[in-house]
Amino acid sequence: MKMDICLVDYETTTAAGINLLALRSALVSQTSGLRFNDIANAAIDTWIGHIEAVDAVTDLGQWQSRNNALAALGLEQGNIKQTLRQLVKRFSAARIGVVMGSSTSSIDRTETAYSCMEEGKLKPLFQQPLVHNPHGPALFVSHYTGIAGPALTINTACSSSAKVFATAARWLSSGIVDAVLVGGVDTLCLSVLYGFDSLQLVSRHPCKPFDQYRDGINLGEAAAYAILMRGTDMETSERVQLSGYGESSDAYHMSHPHPDGLGARLAMEQAMSMAGLSPSSIDYINLHGTASRANDLIEGGLVSALFPKSTQCSSTKGWTGHTLGAAGITESLIAVDALYTGLIPGTMNLSTVDEQLDFSITSNNQVAELTHVMSNSFGFGGNNCSLVFSKVSLA
Amino acid sequence: MARDTMLSVNLVALGAWGDGFASWSDLENLLVNNSVDGADTVAAGPKPDIIPANERRRAPLPVRLAVETSWQATQAAGMNPQELSCVFVSSYGDTQLTDYMCKELASENKQLSPTKFHNSVHNAAAGYWTISTGCVKAANSVAGFAESISLALMEAVIQCNFEQQPMLITFFDAPVTQVLQNVLGEGSIFAISMVILPDHCSPPDSHLLQLTLNDVPAVWPDFHGNDILMRHYHVNHSARLLPLLKILAYSKEKETELTFPLSQARSLSINLSRNK
Repeated sequence: MKMDICLVDYETTTAAGINLLALRSALVSQTSGLRFNDIANAAIDTWIGHIEAVDAVTDLGQWQSRNNALAALGLEQGNIKQTLRQLVKRFSAARIGVVMGSSTSSIDRTETAYSCMEEGKLKPLFQQPLVHNPHGPALFVSHYTGIAGPALTINTACSSSAKVFATAARWLSSGIVDAVLVGGVDTLCLSVLYGFDSLQLVSRHPCKPFDQYRDGINLGEAAAYAILMRGTDMETSERVQLSGYGESSDAYHMSHPHPDGLGARLAMEQAMSMAGLSPSSIDYINLHGTASRANDLIEGGLVSALFPKSTQCSSTKGWTGHTLGAAGITESLIAVDALYTGLIPGTMNLSTVDEQLDFSITSNNQVAELTHVMSNSFGFGGNNCSLVFSKVSLA
Repeated sequence: MARDTMLSVNLVALGAWGDGFASWSDLENLLVNNSVDGADTVAAGPKPDIIPANERRRAPLPVRLAVETSWQATQAAGMNPQELSCVFVSSYGDTQLTDYMCKELASENKQLSPTKFHNSVHNAAAGYWTISTGCVKAANSVAGFAESISLALMEAVIQCNFEQQPMLITFFDAPVTQVLQNVLGEGSIFAISMVILPDHCSPPDSHLLQLTLNDVPAVWPDFHGNDILMRHYHVNHSARLLPLLKILAYSKEKETELTFPLSQARSLSINLSRNK
């Protein structure tokens, strides 16, 4: 299982910044993207990470949905399209794959279609088979980018777009494709707002991950992408590698994490084992850190037990909200970007660390030279994924 | 025809449940003997004992289908489910729950049942399976719409090879809710599970499955069967496995190959031969 998989390019679109550059400056200045919920028809007393620019993307025709609009907006950021064009020229569109992660796919569109049915039927405008199904995100991204190789959507709730890295790494290692566009996209919609509210998981305040007085999550939306290739096909000597992944199940409950964090621990241990690293080598962990009572206690407890104080940790959900199926890749890319910038984001809104936890976490940003970083993502169904990324320099 | 990497695994056992069959041997019988009558299956679907009783009551049809065939396949393979990583694939997802949520959210009330909400995740089947069997291995839940079966088969075979890990693959779809039928088609009750092993393990009576990705597109192969199976083939994306299942049911000694569509520019050829 030796991997040599590198990131060639990446971009993020979140409430804290339309692109990676904007996110970097929001991280530096500790400017949150969260605001009080003002979504029409969703009278829920909570804060959200909402991306207004999505609403202007209305020219997708038969592909139109809010989720696809955000997917398209994300693909317009940075150099993603240019990088893909170069790779298509080099390898052909058929030799490039797409792996997308999402929890909502385009259920926003199905909600809208149901809200204006005529005689119990969807209006012609909403008769969109390629949109009203869970594979919608990868179908749309293939269409929008012209990638013609295998395209898969992973829907494992909040671990979806972490697992895209594991799948892409296996595809590349097996040689079936020469590059993979991985991504995650999820949008705020009534299903997730009312759904998480029904589980009494949303906070009426800006979320406070790992705080003694945290009282729930803030939902957010995001699109994020990375382009992966085999290291043997690259020329640059300074690279960021996916050095390990861990995928596991809790085997416990559909919406409560395992009380001892069984699956989460397995995922972290497997990712480090695959990377050939011990916990003391991990410089920074971008935690799942949803700010729910249960997640943060269990995840924080595991990190307290497994990692030394030299491993810095934070949750960046105070900037973006919990972006569900897009969280895995968004937060992985925040960790990856820290390998380049040396900026370790603090945990926004943290004032009193949960008394039961004992690990290195602070609200302040820090600057450090980083070599190995980890990102955790845990989802409903007890579905866990941890990723380790490393900076390598070939002499 | 341009070809690249070939991936080999051994297919050791199957499970099946659908309109007209309640086991792989029922389905084999329909495929081989072309019998007109299916087994007497109920529209409510299976009620797999493996799901703990309090969870079984709340488990939606697609979940019960997937867990039933997964259990059948692991039992037939003589394997402990805890040893298997898994890939679950459904083309439509649980459209009955989509329908429930969208109707509720279009109403004034907008109250969702928390259980129905957590059951609405696409990985509900993977969740119930791992909870019911105590499996802590990697569980994937993927979607590929019309290409569900070829993408999931490819994904599982690649993972089995790369990680040298026994795998369970479960393909399942259920009838589509009324409102979405003229968009997505009717659907039907159809689920298949397969247990595959890395290519160095080739128990007797297993099939060697060799997958090749071609650099050309393909169309779905013709399939001929009785009315029950023809209906599945035309209304359910998971039932596009039937041409492959027919070859397995006949279990001929000679090698056989068939090709499925995979993406806009690629196709997946599957070569089957019987291990002696």
